[in-house]
Amino acid sequence: MPGTRETREYREFEEIEIILDDDVGGPPQPPVGRDGGDDRNKAPRPQPPSTGRRYHTAIVLAIISITIFFMALATAFLVRKAGQDWVPARLPSVIWLSTAILLASSGTMELSRRRLAAGDPHGFRKFWQITTALGVLFLVGQLVAWGQLVAQGVFVATNPASSFFYIFTAAHGIHLLGGVCALVYVLLHAFKTTEAPRTVAAEVTSYYWHFMDGLWVFLLALLVLGK
Amino acid sequence: METHDSGADGPRVPQRNFLATVLSRSDHKTIGLRYLWLALASVFLGMILSLLMRLQYVWPAAHLPLFSQFGSAPDGYAALTLLHGSLMIFMVLTTAPQAGFASCLLPVQIGARDLAFPKLSAAAFWVTMASICGLVASFFLDLGTGIPVWIASVALFCAASLVNSINLGVTVIDLRAKGMTLPRLPVTVWAWFINAILGMLIYSILLAACVYLLADRFLDARIFVVTEFSPAVPGSSPTVGSIAEWQRLFWFFAQAQVYVALLPCFGLVTHLIATFARRPIWRQRAAVLALCGLGILGFCIWGEHVFESGLNTGAPLLFSQLAAAIGLPAAILVVSWFGTLWGAKIRQTTSMLFALGFISLFLSGGLSGLILARHDLGVTPTRDDFVSGHFHLVMGVAATFAMLGALFFWFPKMFGRHLDERLGKTHFWLTFVGVYGVFMPMHWLGLMSHSGMAAGNPAVTLAKATFLQSLITISILFTTAAQTFFVANFVLSLRCGGVPAEANPWRATTLEWELPSPPEVAREVVVYRGAYDFRSVDDDGRATTEDFVPQYVPSALATFGRRNRSPQGRGQTAPHSPQPAGAE
Repeated sequence: MPGTRETREYREFEEIEIILDDDVGGPPQPPVGRDGGDDRNKAPRPQPPSTGRRYHTAIVLAIISITIFFMALATAFLVRKAGQDWVPARLPSVIWLSTAILLASSGTMELSRRRLAAGDPHGFRKFWQITTALGVLFLVGQLVAWGQLVAQGVFVATNPASSFFYIFTAAHGIHLLGGVCALVYVLLHAFKTTEAPRTVAAEVTSYYWHFMDGLWVFLLALLVLGK
Repeated sequence: METHDSGADGPRVPQRNFLATVLSRSDHKTIGLRYLWLALASVFLGMILSLLMRLQYVWPAAHLPLFSQFGSAPDGYAALTLLHGSLMIFMVLTTAPQAGFASCLLPVQIGARDLAFPKLSAAAFWVTMASICGLVASFFLDLGTGIPVWIASVALFCAASLVNSINLGVTVIDLRAKGMTLPRLPVTVWAWFINAILGMLIYSILLAACVYLLADRFLDARIFVVTEFSPAVPGSSPTVGSIAEWQRLFWFFAQAQVYVALLPCFGLVTHLIATFARRPIWRQRAAVLALCGLGILGFCIWGEHVFESGLNTGAPLLFSQLAAAIGLPAAILVVSWFGTLWGAKIRQTTSMLFALGFISLFLSGGLSGLILARHDLGVTPTRDDFVSGHFHLVMGVAATFAMLGALFFWFPKMFGRHLDERLGKTHFWLTFVGVYGVFMPMHWLGLMSHSGMAAGNPAVTLAKATFLQSLITISILFTTAAQTFFVANFVLSLRCGGVPAEANPWRATTLEWELPSPPEVAREVVVYRGAYDFRSVDDDGRATTEDFVPQYVPSALATFGRRNRSPQGRGQTAPHSPQPAGAE
């Protein structure tokens, strides 16, 4: 009787394993214990090391959420554009330079991640610092763009198009500032063994950074084509 | 019980730095309970406001002590309505079933130690707290400052909800226990998960709308403002075009908000019905798919109100069809509930009564919604009591019933004490009769103003209307008074020590009932089966004494009922650890 029970338990357990197989997805990670208790070969730990899976999921959900946010902003832009008091706005020239800077920062970000994957922490740090500097430079560029507009006498309240320009750049800038903070955090933070490793943090930050890059291109296209 | 009587944030021993202790606690149970306390405070505040509104309606000239500045001014009534609505919608209907119950129960139900990001969850709570302070403060400020404060508070609430939604979503996706596959998830978790995704979408949109509004207010931006418009200058007004644009953004959010409030309630009610009918959910997969369908369609029918406001000429038919199509998943859910209940030996606990009350309210409110979904009938009833009755019955009262049912059900797990069943049942029946007394006459009034005023004797109609109005007033007072039973029950259980709860008092199947009440530390758990395994035979077809097999019990151990025939075995799981010994 006990014998049969054990075999049935075993069979049941195998079934669970089969179901779990397609459940455990995600990119291959360093050999740290996974979340969710599917590490049955290890003794229970009081504080298990956190893996990257939850951060990857979180950044994907956050990106979806931010996309919807900017889509809602863009919808209002498109609807408002049809209004009778719409005055096309001229974009400040510095915006093209800062766009190039942001695109370049995505490139250096990728170089940096490759260095980290190749086991070259110095190269990683160098390119990561360059990315951070380019990010800050982009934000400065946006401020200069605002300055150019103000010099031309174009303020938030001047016309609907200028309102949208200021709001779009401000909303994107705030999100990008969050990205810069993440870049600095990844660079300076001493990652403990109980936390997700630096590779995960770098990867998650890079997703966000590339997304911010693409988002800016979208917003710029909207402002250029929609004027 | 002192540890738990103030939202679990009052430590037994006075700490040196009380504030730091309160601020630093971020475990999911504490945060969830804090949300529930917040909702409880808001629901009573909102109820008092609705009483005030009624008072002002009955005696327009009456001067209320604290609200004298609102007197009989129409602004005062509008401000009362706004505060009542925003407290009830944001702080009660959105916060309690999702942020409150989900933060509290979701991690335990899927076998996770905590939410994915506990610190973020705590931060979101404090932002919500700031938001409610802003909402209430805006009521007491003058119009010029009050409205921006209100908008900013709503924006804060959106941000907090977004963080919560992402947190809950990640928790469900990544932190499920071993063996907790998607089909094995309790339907509550499904509902919370779908709702988190829906919330992620619609709160982003509302946040964007709030950003535009605030830009208009503070930076003089020209988003919604077409002509010169300033609230300070009388006579200046925005043109219709700008309002249309705002409404478009707003209804993206607002129509789906109904489902954000209701989706978790569907999950809770389905769970309660299966547990107390002692049967698996009938067509569980269809019910879960129906929840998904409600989420998707709920997001798509934002245009319904645009045609009812008479704005859009092209799309009414499409949105009318979509609004009617939402009846399909709702009907599947209702059929699933009745299928579960059919021929079941129902255990009539208070929480089951509230779940059944929810079905009743949802059906009666939903039937009146069918009338509203007709685009050709839409224009008149939106302006009168019919919509008021429909909306409150479905969204407000039904959702409150679901939450009360859930509270009675999980109260033992949260506080380690039972609520008193007799007081609970009295409270249920009085409230049930009371709310029908309030909202059915409202439907009637709406129909009267719709058809009766046009043809028929105006004097008779007026007399009828007056009678119905006084019936509503009496019912409101009656229902409010009935809530003393609930308060008494709540306070008595916590203060004077209700019946102590064992680990699994309802003989339920999900993971939270494995832990002692109240749960201390989450532990490793393995899931072996679906969430609603109610049956009286074991895997070999032999009869057992228990009629349920918990998720954490492996098949072979399910025969514990046969080996242990003593009635003390009730509610006890097998004396084995859930980790199977012979599995390695």
